[in-house]
Amino acid sequence: MPKHIDQAIDIPHLGRVEGHGGIHVEISGGEISKVDMAIYEGSRYYEVLVVGKHFTEVPPIVSRVCAICSADHTLASQMAVEDAMGIKISPRTRLLRGLLLHGSMVESHALHVFALALPDLLGYPSLLAMVNDYPEEATIGLKLKKLGNTMQEMIGGRAIHPVNAVVGGFGKAPSKHELEHLAREIRTGLDNVLKLTDLIANLDLPDYSDESNIYAALRTREDRYSYIGKEIHTSTGERKPVRQFREICHERVVSHSTAKQSLYSDRPFMTGSLARVDINGYLLEGKAREVQERLLPDLPSSNDLHNNVAQFIEIVHSLERALYLVNQLIDSPQAEEEPVRETLRSGAGVGALEAPRGTLYHYYEIDEQGIVTGADIITPTAQNLANIEKDFRTAVTRQLNGDPAKLEHQLEVIARAYDPCISCAVHLVDVTFKE
Amino acid sequence: MGKPRVGIYGLTSCAGDQLAILNCEDELIELASALDIRSWVMAQSKNDETSELEIAFVEGVIGTERDLETLQAVRDRAKVLIGIGTCAVWGGVAAMKNNLPRERMRELVYGEKAEHIDIRKALPLKAAVDVDYELPGCPVEKDQFLTLVGSLLHGDLPEFPQTPVCSECKMNENECLLVHRGEVCCGALTMAGCGARCPSLNIPCAGCHGPVEEAYYDANFRALQAHNLSKDDIIQKMGIFSSPAWMPKVLVTDDLPGKGGDYAETH
Repeated sequence: MPKHIDQAIDIPHLGRVEGHGGIHVEISGGEISKVDMAIYEGSRYYEVLVVGKHFTEVPPIVSRVCAICSADHTLASQMAVEDAMGIKISPRTRLLRGLLLHGSMVESHALHVFALALPDLLGYPSLLAMVNDYPEEATIGLKLKKLGNTMQEMIGGRAIHPVNAVVGGFGKAPSKHELEHLAREIRTGLDNVLKLTDLIANLDLPDYSDESNIYAALRTREDRYSYIGKEIHTSTGERKPVRQFREICHERVVSHSTAKQSLYSDRPFMTGSLARVDINGYLLEGKAREVQERLLPDLPSSNDLHNNVAQFIEIVHSLERALYLVNQLIDSPQAEEEPVRETLRSGAGVGALEAPRGTLYHYYEIDEQGIVTGADIITPTAQNLANIEKDFRTAVTRQLNGDPAKLEHQLEVIARAYDPCISCAVHLVDVTFKE
Repeated sequence: MGKPRVGIYGLTSCAGDQLAILNCEDELIELASALDIRSWVMAQSKNDETSELEIAFVEGVIGTERDLETLQAVRDRAKVLIGIGTCAVWGGVAAMKNNLPRERMRELVYGEKAEHIDIRKALPLKAAVDVDYELPGCPVEKDQFLTLVGSLLHGDLPEFPQTPVCSECKMNENECLLVHRGEVCCGALTMAGCGARCPSLNIPCAGCHGPVEEAYYDANFRALQAHNLSKDDIIQKMGIFSSPAWMPKVLVTDDLPGKGGDYAETH
């Protein structure tokens, strides 16, 4: 017998996020009977697509999982392939990859903070509607986004789906002249972003969350704030080498979503900027440290809306770190290097890095001919989906008798705070062909 | 004439073509003031899904029943429907393995309890509706997109050169990766517009803009076959981004690709 539903919230298509998702809530008899972050992005079956392909073809294919994080998918897949095949990259490749990763972080965070989240927090339907009242802020936001793209274009050869970054290295390194130009632009970007600290500090951020968030992020072996690491750390004190990523992300299929969800010890967890700043924030340096001490002095924070603030802090960190890497590159030898194709073995490999929305895992099995036989990709948004639903539940519970329109807006704000990347989440996971 | 009413839509995709539009940072504000953007779910939260549109830009493949419904509704409302990006034009990576049974793919990825996952094949827009103009690219080139909008504002459509990537590569005075370095480069079969981005970085063309219509396919296939590739290898390589253009017709009848292939066969 169909149960009686007293109240239902149905947001069929969530705006200002990447991809196709909606929110469905049902309340019956004073209790929540349904809280779904529904995902209806079509499945593209990436793990099946790469099977049978040569390992050099993998990064350009999986880059298409998502445009916003295409550099991250490219790099994580390259790291996984190199891990599987025993390919050793050069110090310069390491610097260039770091720079590409920071470019991706700046672009993605600027897009999210200024174009997608800020309109929510200031009460506008879009960035374009904000332009008249906040011309300087909108302009700086767009300039920062462009700077992230400039970095990705210079290093990756293209802002979306980088072509210059390949397994083993790069096609062509930027010239000293180009790097010097980039260094100037990064310095200007840093001055600009710091001008917006007041705006972020003065945002009135509501708190719809509960106290029990679990965070997960990578930690580098060196003691510094980094997006690449060998260990997964959780706020519960757990530490795992990245090879054991499946012990942190237990995936399950849910009927209201074409994306799988991840649980850690049967509980939802959060990954992304706020998780990183919570777990690794004490390692921040320079201006990023100053900004963090002003904007998020009390860590850890349990307010998920602080994710936007954490992203702002990371823009500052990424620009400072990028400037350091550019200067290292300017001072290092400029001779052309061919991508390394020397392989030591075949087998399985993992590549993990902190993408803008959280930890991204790529795993490949490769045979003696260099052909992919199995693949697994776990994206940050897929990991966050269960936590988003947990936060929806908290918000709905607190306002069971409140104004439905207000609640609906709150749920949208919560979902957008995570910066969900729905194409990523529905890329599809875990295929191993054993034939 | 007032501002044209415009809708920007994404079907199943990586959202790269919409992001390419958002990446027109210097032009975005001007763009938004020249167009009456009625719907753009990725970029705004208040969207009008009923009024007629002068122009609809659609990216992505038809990958779900919902995609098909969206596309048909947009087609009904729009005077001019434009497919942006290689997914919309040729199916993109999502269509790469349309020859595999979809149920099997679903089972491999989601396991057995996955009835809610659509198993429709990934198809380009023209498989289901009339498309008035196509701009390939993975993603679309910013400059080409802005030229397209500029033309549309003047009631026109642009005519980009229908030449292979090689033509742009020659203009850049690059050494030929295929002939001189023996690398498998798809430039000769691929539509230009990218400025030969990859070969200019010493990276072979992967064919991400899809096939060029008027290539000399026989000679180019022979040039590639000289590098120990079978015809099937070449088609597999080009098929990463534009499989429906090459399959199954090319394999079965030896025909060369061109617009308006028989998509019913691949459906």
